[in-house]
Amino acid sequence: MSAPVHEPGAVDCDVHVAPAAYADLLPYLSDYWRQYISEAAIRLTGVGHAYPPGAPVTATAEAREKGWATPPSTYEQLVERYLDVAQPQHAVLNCITGFDVHRNPYFAAAVAAALNDWVRETFLDKDERLRASLSVSPVSPEDATAEVERAGDDPRFVQVLLPVRSDLPWGHKNNHAMFEAACQRSLQVALHAWGRAGKSMTPSGFATTYLEDYLANQPIAQAQMLSFVSEGVFARFPDLRVMVTECGFAWLPTLLWRFDKDWKGVWREVPWVKDLPSEYVHRHFCLSTAPAHLPPDEAGRAQLLEMLGSSQMLAYASDFPHDHGDSIAPLLDQLSGEERHGVVHATAAAFYGLKPLRTYTST
Amino acid sequence: MTTVQPNPGPETAAAADRAVKLIDCDVHAQATEPMLAAHLGPWARAQLEHYGRRTPRITDWYPRARNGGMRVDAWPNKPGHIWGSDPEMLREQLLDEYDMDYAILEVLSGQDCYDHPDFSREWNHAINQWQTETWLAFDPRLRATIAVPHEYPDLAVKEIEKRAGDERFVAVLLPASAAEPLGAPKYWPIFAAATECGRPVVVHTGGYVDHRGAGYPSFYLDYHVGNGIVTQGQLTSMVAGGLFEEVPGVRVVMTESGVAWAAALRWSLDAAWEQMRADHPRLTRRPSEYIDEHVWFTTQPIEEPEDPQHLMYAIEQANLRDKLLFATDYPHWDFDSPKQALPRVIDKELRQKILSGNAVQLYGFGS
Repeated sequence: MSAPVHEPGAVDCDVHVAPAAYADLLPYLSDYWRQYISEAAIRLTGVGHAYPPGAPVTATAEAREKGWATPPSTYEQLVERYLDVAQPQHAVLNCITGFDVHRNPYFAAAVAAALNDWVRETFLDKDERLRASLSVSPVSPEDATAEVERAGDDPRFVQVLLPVRSDLPWGHKNNHAMFEAACQRSLQVALHAWGRAGKSMTPSGFATTYLEDYLANQPIAQAQMLSFVSEGVFARFPDLRVMVTECGFAWLPTLLWRFDKDWKGVWREVPWVKDLPSEYVHRHFCLSTAPAHLPPDEAGRAQLLEMLGSSQMLAYASDFPHDHGDSIAPLLDQLSGEERHGVVHATAAAFYGLKPLRTYTST
Repeated sequence: MTTVQPNPGPETAAAADRAVKLIDCDVHAQATEPMLAAHLGPWARAQLEHYGRRTPRITDWYPRARNGGMRVDAWPNKPGHIWGSDPEMLREQLLDEYDMDYAILEVLSGQDCYDHPDFSREWNHAINQWQTETWLAFDPRLRATIAVPHEYPDLAVKEIEKRAGDERFVAVLLPASAAEPLGAPKYWPIFAAATECGRPVVVHTGGYVDHRGAGYPSFYLDYHVGNGIVTQGQLTSMVAGGLFEEVPGVRVVMTESGVAWAAALRWSLDAAWEQMRADHPRLTRRPSEYIDEHVWFTTQPIEEPEDPQHLMYAIEQANLRDKLLFATDYPHWDFDSPKQALPRVIDKELRQKILSGNAVQLYGFGS
């Protein structure tokens, strides 16, 4: 399996950063939480279950040998390991450290706020190419809304970051106030792989291997997509869009065939869903290209593109430093120049409202 | 109401004098609690009387928008009966209406409650007795699946062994959502016992479905579309857990969860295995090869793309020509008629395979 290939000039919609330890966040936390962290000896294991240090997905073998398996925690690391190498036009930073802090809602809210302040000062203030996702409490919609209101006015935060693994599906009405706050600030939503640990990853019990956990993100993202549509999120917030990140996309066509079919039968249950579910999905969703788990043959990939309806729902992601191989490359190579530019650049630029910083010629 | 036919007896082969043309691989006979109570011993009957089933049915959590989720004509006008409980009605509306050769019953009554082993053993025994006496004895075209106390594999194996001598029980039935993913070693003895006696394992949507990775959906719509999502996890578990190496001859029938998603799941399983194969020394082949050899799918509710040709893409991509089994899902609201449900892009040869040929191969009907 080859390493991921970077696309210079891209709008890269999934680049990971993370504090190395709670010490990085202490300046952004109150005395109460500093003492809490210190006296309870809380370690920032964060999402160790998602990206175990030795796992092939966590980083390329080369990066792991260099000790670069964890995401950059300083701007200098980001420059050396990613920005100078990948040369994106823009990169959207995702810090998923707050996905599974623990169940204390007050702590979760404090950590989310600290992460946003840390991301802003550590990265956003230093490079105009950078944008970021806004961390919010994954356990309290009220606190999530408050954080969107507190930190979301900074236009460099372009989307609210939600873990696909959740206690309630994100489309649920409990979350609509948060979406309203996001829409008021032109923030979009990103659903990102992983999230709430401590309950089973599959719909039907605990899996026993990392491979199963890793792949479970994809069906969970499907369930979240159903929720956004059936709960009427887009009927209520017509400007809201969702980036499905690091959850694959080849599953999309067949899911929509079934979703449309069922809706035709039971639409009375969700009277606010006025159009075919697939129409909402095509209008409101983009999906990141890593991992791309694709047909092995060119004809199969061409069929997949035809079934997707358009390659322009896809948005390029390096998912740095994670390694899903170069699996999107064969698909990109099958696209026309214009289509390829769309996936690598234009779709995400439009999604985030980004303008070019420098001359860029598509290949 | 048609006159009740005299029971031709189980030994009479219904279709012995003609080619098998139509097999329905997902039919729901539904027992009322009193119907099953009649087959329980005094302790279990008292438990049922005192505590009921202890958990709401999935139709209580996720009510169907109209007619209780059933065909509008499926409610018998007979005291004590509900949809799916009347063999005469089923014969008239399904077996005779479509001139079926065989119909396989899947009774889901044992799947949605985590029972004490003593109760679970009696309850599933009762389901199988009820199937034998009420259904298999009624029409020789009917076949049954063995309900088992699946959370207690040692008891499940005993029930399988008890029914194995009756060839009208053609498969073992498991829910698509149980306490652990179905590929977990806990359940291997059930797959092994089924395989030992030549039965496939039918995995039917349902079960506890109680802890989804995304949390509980609010509506039947998401829940029902989500059945395909649940089953993706089960197939992943079976492959990654090594079931197909552990029980080499096992045959699994994924029922009522869709078919077209199988292609994308194969791609992701193969890609992840390529990257992590060192973690899975038990797996000696690509995941898609295991699926090719071991897994079948029933059609209803088959996905309906706007361009029917895309369904053919999905069938070819997932290598399903020999693996699709026709199902009506009688008497549920989304019943598929064998005359109307399959789009015209499905060529004549494939249509024949789906309607009967693949099931004949799998179950040995008519041979």
